[in-house]
Amino acid sequence: MFDLSSRTAKLVFGVSILLIGFYLFFPIYWMVISSFKANGELYQVLPTFFPRDVTLAHYWSVFTESQLGLYLVNSLIVSGASAAINTVLAVYAGYSFAKYRYPGRQPIMLFMLSAQMFPFGLLLISLYPVLTSFGLLDTRPGLILSYIVFALPVAVYMLYSYFTQVPDELIDAARADGASDLRIFHTIVLPISIPPVVTVFLYSFMWSWNDLLYSMTLIVSEDKRTIGPGLLLTYLNETNADWGGAMAASLVVSAPIVIAFMFLQRYFIQGVTAGAVK
Amino acid sequence: MAKLELSGIRKSFGPVEVLKGIDLTVEDGEFVAFVGPSGCGKSTLLRLICGLDEITAGQMAIDGELVNDVPPAKRGIAMVFQSYALYPHMSVAQNMGYALRLAGTPKDEIKSRVTEAARVLRLDPYLERKPRQLSGGQRQRVAIGRAIVRAPRIFLFDEPLSNLDAALRVDMRIEIARMKDDLGTTMIYVTHDQIEAMTLADRIVVLNAGKVEQIGSPLELYNKPVNRFVAGFIGSPRMNFLALKGRSADKAGIVAGGEVRLPAGLTEEPAEIGIRPEHLLLTRRGAPDSLAGKVTMTEHLGSDTYAYVALEGSSDMLVVRLAGENAVARNEPIGVHVDPKMIHVFAASGASLASAQPAALEAA
Repeated sequence: MFDLSSRTAKLVFGVSILLIGFYLFFPIYWMVISSFKANGELYQVLPTFFPRDVTLAHYWSVFTESQLGLYLVNSLIVSGASAAINTVLAVYAGYSFAKYRYPGRQPIMLFMLSAQMFPFGLLLISLYPVLTSFGLLDTRPGLILSYIVFALPVAVYMLYSYFTQVPDELIDAARADGASDLRIFHTIVLPISIPPVVTVFLYSFMWSWNDLLYSMTLIVSEDKRTIGPGLLLTYLNETNADWGGAMAASLVVSAPIVIAFMFLQRYFIQGVTAGAVK
Repeated sequence: MAKLELSGIRKSFGPVEVLKGIDLTVEDGEFVAFVGPSGCGKSTLLRLICGLDEITAGQMAIDGELVNDVPPAKRGIAMVFQSYALYPHMSVAQNMGYALRLAGTPKDEIKSRVTEAARVLRLDPYLERKPRQLSGGQRQRVAIGRAIVRAPRIFLFDEPLSNLDAALRVDMRIEIARMKDDLGTTMIYVTHDQIEAMTLADRIVVLNAGKVEQIGSPLELYNKPVNRFVAGFIGSPRMNFLALKGRSADKAGIVAGGEVRLPAGLTEEPAEIGIRPEHLLLTRRGAPDSLAGKVTMTEHLGSDTYAYVALEGSSDMLVVRLAGENAVARNEPIGVHVDPKMIHVFAASGASLASAQPAALEAA
């Protein structure tokens, strides 16, 4: 580990931590305090670092005047469905790549991963006509499918690397005990793979929850709009920019992800670092 | 209980042939150990018997019934793995009952069989624990218990003790010996530890490069190895080998440091002699039947002393095993006494031409 015995080292270390912390958390702090400031205070030339008068007006308007509830439900449906489908597909594909030997295994895997190498804007250009021709443009299944296209390769790869570390002897033992391949997977391998599976679910969920570009492009109807484009179009449009409302709404919509992360962070960290040391 | 017959068993992984025709019959209730260097195919052979890998060619029968295409669980075979391979998310009881549950055994029966096996293996206090809460020896016993509850016809062990520390290994070895007596089931045991093989097995199969070198009782292998490989593999410290440089006028063999008397009636031209460290003695320089050399190093084990002797005019070293504590002067000219009766003679091909004739064997 680092030796922090000298005073200069301690000082440099402390200052660096502060800087990094400031860089990471100041925007969040700003979002929080701005959401509580009255409009007059928000547009002052000299900004205040603590709200002079705390007001809940922005939150009130978010829940009463905007369509936020609808956007949240839409996002929950789309993100939940794409994360669930993505995880199920990745679990089986990853296991197959990791534990079975068949011709074409490696080319197929490389082919899948190569989808990752294109910028996702580029993928969107080719996805658009495909979705159009299947009549899936401006539909939730269409959006869910396109999220899966993007998130599946990484999800498969994450689970593949985890499953390669499941000892073969464990699978052999179950086979000698008389379990079928699927049975082994469902009763032995999956139960010990909960952390990485949860990680992959969260990863896929976050990817679609945070998306702006795909949803903005592929969804036109107001009633199917998700939170990303929903917020943007409600609070920041050509005619006005309601920063207080935007901040309050942003806080409200980040909450589900933050809460999910807090509950599942133990799994998440386990999953990300799984196999790092033996 | 079952008799296992293997004939012409071959196994290839792609272009690599790992087993090159194995013929072996294991009798009902017999304990057979497979030994051999790493990569000799002993674990592969065990996996074929278990049914985890497919046999490329040859036939395998249990009690006369061909089982080449029978899945593992239907063969009535249970295997204990080197890494124990316990299911980490299941309790000890669930681990032991898993196979029975898959087979659709009624719950009451699973419970009574698991309880019985746990009692035999002294695991009863741990039935509700998870494997990670157990010590190495306890995990090993759970792995054995998982095999026992299935009441298999044949037990397979794949280096079951190699993950345990030395003291525990001795305990478990005794436990397995006891199990062998109690159950009387046919058992096949893979190990690289020849002490395990020698002490446990009724017969040992020595494998090398995918072929059987020799099958025999532990003492047969020790006293009458059929070739140089088996001679060098069985016994610790390993047998000393000396190349023959020629024959003297009175037909004795010329080796580094002197001459040794060879047995009469050799059928082939001898190329090498072998003699075990325990059949050598240190003596004075020039004594009859002795080779000239100097002790260069000694190892003291308490019960034994190993002296490493550099033979005169050669880089060949002999290991001499001396009983008990021995203070041996280093770098003094000495002689190494070679008992002509204890010499093994090998042809250039490695085949054994003559083996040691210990007094015990002569009497029999």
